[in-house]
Amino acid sequence: MAEPEERHYNIDRLNMIFAVASIVLLFALIWMVTDDYSREWKDYQRKFRELEIEKTRVKYDYAFNELESKGDYKALEKQLEEERKTFTVGCPAGSADDEAKKFAAENDLLNQKYRFTKAEYDAARYRYETARARGGADNAHLAKAAEVLAGLERQLAGLKLAVEQSGQRLAQRQKAADDCGARLAELERRERGFQQKTKILQRKLDKIDPGAMNFTNRIAQMVRDLPIIDLANPNYKIEQIVLKDIPEDLNFSKVPTVDRCVTCHQGIADQDYKDASQPFRAHPNLELYLGNDSAHPIDEFGCTVCHGGRGRGTDFVSAAHTPASAQQAEEWEEKYGWEPLHHWEKPMLPKQYVEAGCFQCHAGQGTIKGAEKLNLGLSIIERSGCYTCHTINRYKNWPKPGPDLTKLSSKISKKWAYQWIQSPRTFRPDTWMPAFFDQSNTSDPESRKRNEQEIHAIVAYLFANNPEYPAASIPLEGAIQKGKEIVSSVGCMGCHRIEPRDPSEALTRDTLRREQGPNFSGLGSKTSKAWLYNWLKNPHSYNPRTKMPNLRLSDEEAAHVAAYLASLRDDVYGQTEVPAVDEAGIDGIVLDFLTKSETLDSAKKKVAAMSRDEKLSFAGEKLVRHYGCFACHAIAGFENEKPIGTELTEEGSRPVDRLDFGFVHIDHTRPAWFAQKLKDPRVFDQGKVKLHDEKLRMPNFEFNDEEIEAVTTALLGFVKDAPKAKIVPRTARDLDIERGQELARVFNCQGCHLIEKDGGAIQPAVGQWLVDYNNVSANEAAAVIPSFSPPNLIGEGKKVQAQWLFNFLHDPSTIRPWLKVRMPTYAFAADELNDLVKYFAALDNEESLFLEKFHGAITPEELDAGAKLFSKDYFDCAKCHIVGAQMPGGSPENWAPDFALARSRLKPQWIDEWLKNPQDLLPGTKMPTYFDPAGFEASGPEDILAGDEHKQIRALRNYLMSLTPQPHGQTPPAQ
Amino acid sequence: MEAVKEFINAVSRPQIMFPMILAVFFFVFSPTDRLLAINKRLGLYKLWTKRGGIVLFLCLFLAFAFGLMDMNFAKIVTKPDNVPIVGLIFLIFFFVWFSMKQAWENDARIAAGGRPREAEDSKEKILVWPDLVYIEFIALILCTVLLIVWSILLKAPLEEAANPTVSPNPSKAPWYFLGLQEMLVYFDPWIAGVLFPTVIMIGMMAIPYLDTNKKGCGYYTFKDRKMAISIFMFYWLVLWFFLITVGTFLRGPNWNFFGPFEAWDIHKLEVLTNINLSELVYMVWLKQRLPENILLREMGGFAVVFLYFGAMPLVLAKTLFKKVYAALGPFRYAIFTILLLMSISLPIKMILRWLFNIKYIIAIPEFFFNI
Repeated sequence: MAEPEERHYNIDRLNMIFAVASIVLLFALIWMVTDDYSREWKDYQRKFRELEIEKTRVKYDYAFNELESKGDYKALEKQLEEERKTFTVGCPAGSADDEAKKFAAENDLLNQKYRFTKAEYDAARYRYETARARGGADNAHLAKAAEVLAGLERQLAGLKLAVEQSGQRLAQRQKAADDCGARLAELERRERGFQQKTKILQRKLDKIDPGAMNFTNRIAQMVRDLPIIDLANPNYKIEQIVLKDIPEDLNFSKVPTVDRCVTCHQGIADQDYKDASQPFRAHPNLELYLGNDSAHPIDEFGCTVCHGGRGRGTDFVSAAHTPASAQQAEEWEEKYGWEPLHHWEKPMLPKQYVEAGCFQCHAGQGTIKGAEKLNLGLSIIERSGCYTCHTINRYKNWPKPGPDLTKLSSKISKKWAYQWIQSPRTFRPDTWMPAFFDQSNTSDPESRKRNEQEIHAIVAYLFANNPEYPAASIPLEGAIQKGKEIVSSVGCMGCHRIEPRDPSEALTRDTLRREQGPNFSGLGSKTSKAWLYNWLKNPHSYNPRTKMPNLRLSDEEAAHVAAYLASLRDDVYGQTEVPAVDEAGIDGIVLDFLTKSETLDSAKKKVAAMSRDEKLSFAGEKLVRHYGCFACHAIAGFENEKPIGTELTEEGSRPVDRLDFGFVHIDHTRPAWFAQKLKDPRVFDQGKVKLHDEKLRMPNFEFNDEEIEAVTTALLGFVKDAPKAKIVPRTARDLDIERGQELARVFNCQGCHLIEKDGGAIQPAVGQWLVDYNNVSANEAAAVIPSFSPPNLIGEGKKVQAQWLFNFLHDPSTIRPWLKVRMPTYAFAADELNDLVKYFAALDNEESLFLEKFHGAITPEELDAGAKLFSKDYFDCAKCHIVGAQMPGGSPENWAPDFALARSRLKPQWIDEWLKNPQDLLPGTKMPTYFDPAGFEASGPEDILAGDEHKQIRALRNYLMSLTPQPHGQTPPAQ
Repeated sequence: MEAVKEFINAVSRPQIMFPMILAVFFFVFSPTDRLLAINKRLGLYKLWTKRGGIVLFLCLFLAFAFGLMDMNFAKIVTKPDNVPIVGLIFLIFFFVWFSMKQAWENDARIAAGGRPREAEDSKEKILVWPDLVYIEFIALILCTVLLIVWSILLKAPLEEAANPTVSPNPSKAPWYFLGLQEMLVYFDPWIAGVLFPTVIMIGMMAIPYLDTNKKGCGYYTFKDRKMAISIFMFYWLVLWFFLITVGTFLRGPNWNFFGPFEAWDIHKLEVLTNINLSELVYMVWLKQRLPENILLREMGGFAVVFLYFGAMPLVLAKTLFKKVYAALGPFRYAIFTILLLMSISLPIKMILRWLFNIKYIIAIPEFFFNI
């Protein structure tokens, strides 16, 4: 018996503790492995697999049933069955029966023997060679080696023969069987052809559907996903898209973007899942995104490049999902334990702002096709003139959006100006002039009082020292009705409305085009008839940089229009009295500005020395600078002033903590801040104690929710780290187009014309004119609107000569005399004209602006043929087309442009193409197709130029180019 | 409830909390006989008994329980970065209490003519194998469990990619350097970041040569090492542990001070009206402009620093530290007092800053020389 061990502690108790601790450790380890193993995305992948199995099964069943219902297939199956029977009965069994097996076994054995003997032979040969090389000293050894070699060689030859014989015998047997079964093989091949679709689905099911697997595979399926073993090749694994050309900037190094979104969003690029529940649903627009043939294939763009978010995240929270609304946030919190990911600087764009992602790469483009909200946002920014106070690189050279105020006194009264500044929307509810005064941070009684005096000061400054605007007197009393007709027909409605837009009508880029200029309501209460007359006659004399073009109205027309516009009065407006100038109040304002640069004492002295007008003017100037009025309006004395707002070029990348949320309780995110700022620009002053001139001063544009969303989308798109590799290349052509689009937007070309299939905002107004003045029903009008509207400029670059376009834009002339609407004269600068010509050329991929000069020589034969084709007997061109002064018969809606202009206006190459197939160049044109594109060679008249269509077109084209305005009436040579 | 929180927030402002801690500290850890007598009279030593410990921990737990009901407090305390510091609080309280309890017990035993508990402990025999190894192994297992569970439950506190142009606000040093970072509030970087850490290390190396008191070797005692323990505890608890806790829980954005129940508002503004000693002398007292001459301007400051480091040791040697001087001899006494004065300068400057708004004693920004 060993002595009891000497112990300090009670060993049983220690054992107990040890056991418990070990078990706890074991559980901790199990917990650790389970925690590490169980991932959200695995559950999603499991669910997706179920969905995939289900979908594949349905597809398989469908394909199978389809196959079964095919008569051909059924017949084939029957045939096959019979053929198989015949085959088993009547054919040698190939490699299947006992005899064949015996033969094959013999053959295998012989083969093996041959290979082994060959190996021995090779070794013996080596021994013989080395023995011989060592020299003849040991002759006996060499002789023995030679003998062995020779013996083996003989043996090998015999074996070779045996192998060949055996092989031949086998082959013969097989051939006999094949020949006999040739028909069966052919039938089986056809069967496979039929079953191709089902087989593919079957194979897929075998791979993913445990129900369709055999036992071993099912076990293997389970085992490969077990913890730790799953390092090799698991079913459920993180899927990722690596984008080497879009680096993620980690400040000290750059790493490729890695998007693991597809780990859960497994059906994202598969049309089959377009109705599946999230996260498996397919992208709603696979034609544009993610598809292999789309512009943004998934393997090249991934997800986060456009959507933002944390691509490496593999669970709902760590992917930085962003809810679209507070309600969704709540839902997510409940469902996924969602919380904002504070430390990720680029959270996903909320759904409503998703188009912001487009801008980073498409920033150069004027309009981004498909991103309507973003385009609208940009248009609103352009129309509101955000870029004048806030520098935005994209709008560096854009003109001031507001009217010139240097000659204000000739246009409006001080009282009107006061009331307008105080509340622009009272007079014109849809104006783009924002409200500066009586806003959320300046509407307490004290501020209101100060506001009144500030407005007085601004008005005083604006009206002081205005140069005389030489106003010609109106030659005749205009007729209101006539004026109204002119306004509705001549083209005013491309940029203006008579009544403001109905608030129920959504703002679109098209409606915005008709807000290029102000609406006409109440115009008579604003300004005088004489001013209107002079403005209409020549807008550039009042403001050389105005966007308002000259419509070349005759004196008479201008007088009518002026009379009509002046008759649109708003007599309720302006009834209210303007509060009087309060000198003490003005003193306070002047003092505030003076004390910024001098002491209170000297400021006070200065104020005391100033006259009332001096004070008003002084304060006015300071206030114009303070509020930045000069940013939108040309104001004398502020020609070189810098804009007053923060730069917005990279606003979408501004860190959230640089945004002052003040005491306003909203989400601390960029979109929330932008939206709130746009809704009430002064809101972040809420709860702050500030002096009057420290207060926020961004004016209120009174945007509605849709407008705010659109502008916020654009702002979120103004980011600094665009993926360089993906930016739409800025080639010379693209730059020409960009510049052209910019000009088209500045001057609102699309108010009248369709350019790039977009625009023509005037068309509804043309329809209205047809109904009001031409006794046409609304339905009839709808059908002929395009005939009475400004032309669609599709293919303009291809169609007209550059020189002609340049001249025309500079000084338009009539091409379509039946149109009431007329191309106005813009005071384009020479470079703008060049840019526009280049723009149209670039749109049509015309590489050089000027074509080879058309020599115009025409053979008598051609002239003769051309004239015949032109005549009534054949194409009867003059039925619709104007030729010089000769108008066609019939109603004007069928008229077509003047041939006399063809020589100087059209490109000969274009005429050829046009004659060949007009619908191809201008879909929907009224021009008849004389040469059938489907059967071109047989389409022209057979009796001219031996029926050669190419020659006919050439002759007709040359003939047209020979037409001139002179002599009148006898251009088509009589036949 | 809200009023209580308001009160605690107000009390935890450094202007109030720091002097309070200083005041209480030297009664709890009494370096001199006179203070010890007061301690005894007040019964503060009872803290170092089992019952005292229970009360202490109950208070600590209750304080946390109460705090956790507040959103701001809970948010800061349960942040994965800060959880270890919460653990640190409990551990430090426990070990300080435990060692002090043993020290007081030993003192009582010695006073009663006995020997310290450690003397008896050493008679007991614990076998390395198997007893010690066994319990160590069990401890190892339990620690492993703790670490595993911790790593499962709390996520690693990772933040956004480091960006040299954007510094986080607040930017905090690792927890063990928060004491140093707090010193930066009171001293220039060259002192707080270079001089002091060096002196701290040298000072710790010097301890065995300065403290030659053989009493307390191998056992806990307070009575025989009052001065040494109090000084150590002062550094350890107030200048190190307390500053780390403050840096972790009470320093928010812009390194502003926040009460435990206050939300960390990035826009909080604090009054910054600190002045230098020279400004106090010339502008406030003498109603004069600051002299152009730097030396003249900072004369007062230099005088104070000279008196503090030059004259103070001599005065102390004659008065308060008479015994110390006698025990250490002039050379070691000089090193001891200089080290001591240097380290005392931190709380002095904290008090000057918090209570008298004095920023620098000597302020020569022209040469980046500020003390």
